Amino acid sequence: MELSYQEKLTLIKLNELKRAKFEELVKATGLEQVAVMRAVLGLQAKGLAKLHERSEKVVKLTETGKKYAEIGLPEWRALKLLRERGKVTLDDLREVLSDDELKPIVGLLRKEGWASVRKEDGKLILEITEKGLEAEERPIDRALKLLAEKNVVPVKEIEKLIPVKELKRRKIGEEETVTERTVEITPAGEELAPKVELKREVSVLTPELIKSGKWREVEFRRFDIKAPVRRIYPGKKQPYRAFLDKIRRRLIEMGFIEMTVDSLIETQFWNFDALFQPQNHPAREWTDTYQLKYPKSGFLPEEELVERVKTAHERGLAGSRGWGYVWSPERAMLLMPRAHGTALSGRQLAKGVEIPGKYFTIQRVFRPDVLDRTHLIEFNQIDGFVVGEELNFRHLLGILKRFAVEIAGAKKVKFLPDYYPFTEPSVQMSAYHPELGWVEFGGAGIFREEMTKALGIEVPVIAWGIGIDRLAMFKLGIDDIRYLFSYDLRWLREAKLVW
Amino acid sequence: MPKFDVSKRDLERLVGKEFTVEEWEDLFLYAKCELDDVWEENGEIYFKADSKDTNRPDLWSAEGIARQIRWALGFRRGLPEYEVEKSDVTVYVDEKLKDIRPYGVYAIVECLKLDEEALKQMINLQEKVALTFGRRRREVAIGIFDFDKVKPPIYYRAAEKTEKFVPLGFEEELTLEEILEKHEKGREYGHLIKDKPYYPLLVDSEGKVLSMPPIINSETTGRVTTETRNVFVDVTGWDLNKVMLALNVVVTALAERGGRIKSVKVVYPDFEIETPNLTPKSFEVELDYIRKLAGLDLSDGEIKDLLERMMYDVTLEDGKAKLLYPAFRDDIMHARDVLEDVLIAYGYNEIEPEEPKLAVQGRGDKFIEFEDAVRELMVGFGLQEVMTFNLTNREAQYGKMNLEYGRDYFNNPPAELVEIENPISPKWSALRNWLLPSLLDFLSQNTHEEYPQRLFEVGKATLIDESRETKTVSESKLAVVLAQPRVTFTDTKEILDSVMRHLGFEYELEEVEHPSFIPGRVGKVIVKGKAIGVIGEIHPSVLEKWGIEMPVAGFELFLRPLYTEPYL
Repeated sequence: MELSYQEKLTLIKLNELKRAKFEELVKATGLEQVAVMRAVLGLQAKGLAKLHERSEKVVKLTETGKKYAEIGLPEWRALKLLRERGKVTLDDLREVLSDDELKPIVGLLRKEGWASVRKEDGKLILEITEKGLEAEERPIDRALKLLAEKNVVPVKEIEKLIPVKELKRRKIGEEETVTERTVEITPAGEELAPKVELKREVSVLTPELIKSGKWREVEFRRFDIKAPVRRIYPGKKQPYRAFLDKIRRRLIEMGFIEMTVDSLIETQFWNFDALFQPQNHPAREWTDTYQLKYPKSGFLPEEELVERVKTAHERGLAGSRGWGYVWSPERAMLLMPRAHGTALSGRQLAKGVEIPGKYFTIQRVFRPDVLDRTHLIEFNQIDGFVVGEELNFRHLLGILKRFAVEIAGAKKVKFLPDYYPFTEPSVQMSAYHPELGWVEFGGAGIFREEMTKALGIEVPVIAWGIGIDRLAMFKLGIDDIRYLFSYDLRWLREAKLVW
Repeated sequence: MPKFDVSKRDLERLVGKEFTVEEWEDLFLYAKCELDDVWEENGEIYFKADSKDTNRPDLWSAEGIARQIRWALGFRRGLPEYEVEKSDVTVYVDEKLKDIRPYGVYAIVECLKLDEEALKQMINLQEKVALTFGRRRREVAIGIFDFDKVKPPIYYRAAEKTEKFVPLGFEEELTLEEILEKHEKGREYGHLIKDKPYYPLLVDSEGKVLSMPPIINSETTGRVTTETRNVFVDVTGWDLNKVMLALNVVVTALAERGGRIKSVKVVYPDFEIETPNLTPKSFEVELDYIRKLAGLDLSDGEIKDLLERMMYDVTLEDGKAKLLYPAFRDDIMHARDVLEDVLIAYGYNEIEPEEPKLAVQGRGDKFIEFEDAVRELMVGFGLQEVMTFNLTNREAQYGKMNLEYGRDYFNNPPAELVEIENPISPKWSALRNWLLPSLLDFLSQNTHEEYPQRLFEVGKATLIDESRETKTVSESKLAVVLAQPRVTFTDTKEILDSVMRHLGFEYELEEVEHPSFIPGRVGKVIVKGKAIGVIGEIHPSVLEKWGIEMPVAGFELFLRPLYTEPYL
């Protein structure tokens, strides 16, 4: 028979006592009351002990009663003063009585016949009587003493002295029902008890127990392993950033080289002009493009490069007729927070690239939008390019499709004609996501020759960008894009791990 | 970019064949359009068309889409032909318009039978061309008039601001000046001419006003209805090529509805032209160039066929294609533009994608990898990473931090901010130059959430650096805040100390005055004799300004000085 530590201890003690009040048993075991009760019930279920319960009405002292037990009933305190002084005024009694005791005292003393009362000069005068001088212990005093001694006295016993309602009236005592529990060992218990081997129970395995080897002599308290625990929060990465980290690693695995830049601010030259985006293009209007108040303008790169870009815009380059307008260097020098990652591709191409080569960047970019459920004021863009002698349009589709498979887990893709000022031909890709359906996932194109030639590149360059926001929102289980840059700590704490 | 509604029935009437919605979805691609939405209204099916190309206004209406699809399906081939008959109408252009709105070009389209749907398309096209291609009417504005109410010759002249006419939608005459103030369109587009000494006006021989370009037509002649049979088209702007193109787009669209185009003589002070001019334009491409970049094994004949389906006339000669293309297009600058047409005619989804086999190796930026390692370390301290915006404002960066703008706090923060001239909101009008205010902002939005709140961010602070190309530099920084009862300088110094040991740097703290922090509990972090950061207990008056009722200690460091090149 499997007994817990408490059950074993209780059984052993009960065997010594054979039959005992529950409280005695608690004392004997030295355990908590609840633990003993649980053990007794356990033993009873196993037929080793029996619990008897008997309810009884008892009387207990009230707070006032406890006070009287200590300092005496008000009438005795008054009588003591009267015995000393023979007669007193009502005011004199304040020395021994509190305000609320003062009022009923005259009635009480009169009722007992301990004092006579008269009026003198409009004042109440109390004078001790014979009876007062001889007064002895009354039933109420004996009841108070008994209660003070025993704390709890059965109603039956009190009633032998005084009606309980009298104690209630004087607010000395109150009635209560108590259950008296008696525990008894059964024969089976008696038989088993001597065979029980008792070890000390511990709740925590301490270093001392291990060092001293005492762990061999103890039993470990069983835990309620289903009990709820406190909610704790680990330190962890921001979920959207962790998602971006993952995509970054994947791109590197796919053979892409990471591009970086030293500032979030860009000249219009790199943001637009170097990408063959004419200066009167609608996207360059005041409402669609930020400008800086301070600092206003930056510098243009080396003169030769600027000259080639200017020519491409004004008269065309590489067999193009150009945009046919007068290109303004001042306009190109204007500064702005970078509006797209493609600006970095332009910089990288001008700086020089490995051919063949694959490049990417994850960049924070800025657009003049209002912040709401579907728009961010700044966001992260993932884009780059692939450069190589033999690249063609089929490769462009192949690169996009690979992204869809690797990053979106898409099985099917669909290509649509698209337009970007800096690529021709241009493609938009929709990927079929198992849960989201068709999602616009990326765009690509072959950089226009007017652009690449001006930057000094003679071979085709496939530019690509992937839109991961919807995918990230799905992954993170959100339908409000602002949560990508969440300012909600509760959400961050509860967010599932991204891997 | 331009989006507009078209009715399925109208499209099918124009194409001459019916299709299912799914088929239409694919057919739209030939016209560089995406079918964005489908719905039913009064028993008719409507499509939302999203035209992708900002340089192809000829594709921004039902007529344009239908025309391209008819060709793509091979119902028609080669160059679309439009007959243009000369009219005896003349328009005289006033010399004084030279600096006001110099160019006007015109045409007449007769024998129209426009139903409600056709009328809607005409208005839509006119609006979209003026809005997107015409840069909100600045470069192109279009007016279409009931020609039967007009008595030629017509005059495009500079008018006094006190001249009057009844603008569209009004009952009484207003002066030109009043129109700019009172008419909805006057308020919307008035800025285009407001400061000019005269305003442009188009009037007929009897002095009847047709319109006040680029603002509004007159009520008398400017209302075109299903009853209108003959229209007069007016396009004004600043660039003759551009207005001619817009005119071609509009008149050929009307011709697709059965209209007959008539040209008009336009007399400028120094020259005369006949408009519209629908003479096709020419271009030449190398067939090998097309084949190579397409990555498709196309024969000369196949390329010719594909181009004919994109409305080109093609003559093959010595490995070249000599092309004629319609006068309603002006977007062909380079052989690439022709290549795209070939591919669209072929069908993007008919092409087998092929991944390029390139012998290349990927590599991440080493500094970003260093940042990642620091982030791992911070997570190890039990800190929650946050990602906050770079956009902020001067008050958040200085005022709420007890700092004075223009004073340098050993670069944490520096004296000046990079500020935006045209912010969407004053709240987002500058780029941050230190990170602790962003983290305090974060804490201030989470005061109801359980403490301790221990956060970090690795992010950018943008500083002025006159020597650089962009006169700015965005430095990588690490910022940490600990918000919890009884937190002190010591708690945050323990983390700083550990970070420094893990990065292998000796550091010193130098006592300093910094009003964002409690005096005597703030230090300058010094590495190799240079201040690289700040650490301290945030001053209660700063906490009060942010509405944070919990003590906060933290630090912020520049990461670049702590970077060492790794071996791998």
